[in-house]
Amino acid sequence: MARMKFLCDAERCIECNGCVTACKQEHEVPWGVNRRRVVTINDGVIGAEKSISVACMHCSDAPCMAVCPVDCFYRTDDGVVLHDKDLCIGCGYCFYACPFGAPQFPQAGAFGLRGKMDKCTFCAGGPEADKSEAEFKKYGRNRLAEGKLPACAEMCSTKALLGGDGDVIADIYRERVTRRGKGSEVWGWGTAYGQGKGGSAPAPAGAKS
Amino acid sequence: MAQTKITRLNRRNFLLAVGAGGAATVAAIAAKTASQAQPAATGTGKRSTRGYSASEHINNYYRTTKV
Repeated sequence: MARMKFLCDAERCIECNGCVTACKQEHEVPWGVNRRRVVTINDGVIGAEKSISVACMHCSDAPCMAVCPVDCFYRTDDGVVLHDKDLCIGCGYCFYACPFGAPQFPQAGAFGLRGKMDKCTFCAGGPEADKSEAEFKKYGRNRLAEGKLPACAEMCSTKALLGGDGDVIADIYRERVTRRGKGSEVWGWGTAYGQGKGGSAPAPAGAKS
Repeated sequence: MAQTKITRLNRRNFLLAVGAGGAATVAAIAAKTASQAQPAATGTGKRSTRGYSASEHINNYYRTTKV
């Protein structure tokens, strides 16, 4: 049985935020809510700067699911963690529990008013009927039902963000890592796109490494 | 005077009893309605369905990631 997973290849991510834009555009996500964002560490440090694209990781043992007082979360057979906005009371427990900061809230009013929680759905919609108007309004487009994968992963220009069947994704990443080799020279353009130890792939003029 | 006081208290108790009984009836009806409505709200069959299938579009995406 396929289990849906995201994996971000930090060697390839160029912090273009294309995934963030693709997500917002695809689901018409409102202002103030970012289902996906790019996090950069060691910004500006040559050789040490890394970026990764982060959203809901659809955990196998999801802490949001464990703490929700109204039990609005559920996991599909594909391993996608979804929630029911009709049941959500906007308490924010899931936000405190999530190590990735995935749950987002559309409002910030008086008395802790937050509104219904919103998060990445792996482009799998919600509990409403597939591809229905109600589903789109609450959760965004259901690309999985259309035979497609999440827009962020498909739109990624460098294919740093991988999404899909966990087994296939793991094989793709393993192949990349094996090709790259190891050691201090493992960084930069040649590492991300070159043929690695076995072949030669000169970096384009002006590129680092 | 004492007789009048007792009469008033009795009447108050009667009204209190009627009020409490009415509230209990309303609560019982609400609880019954909620317990009936809950399965309809949460028990949508879609929760257990599968959305993923390796379509041509998806296989094409996997191919592009190997570049």
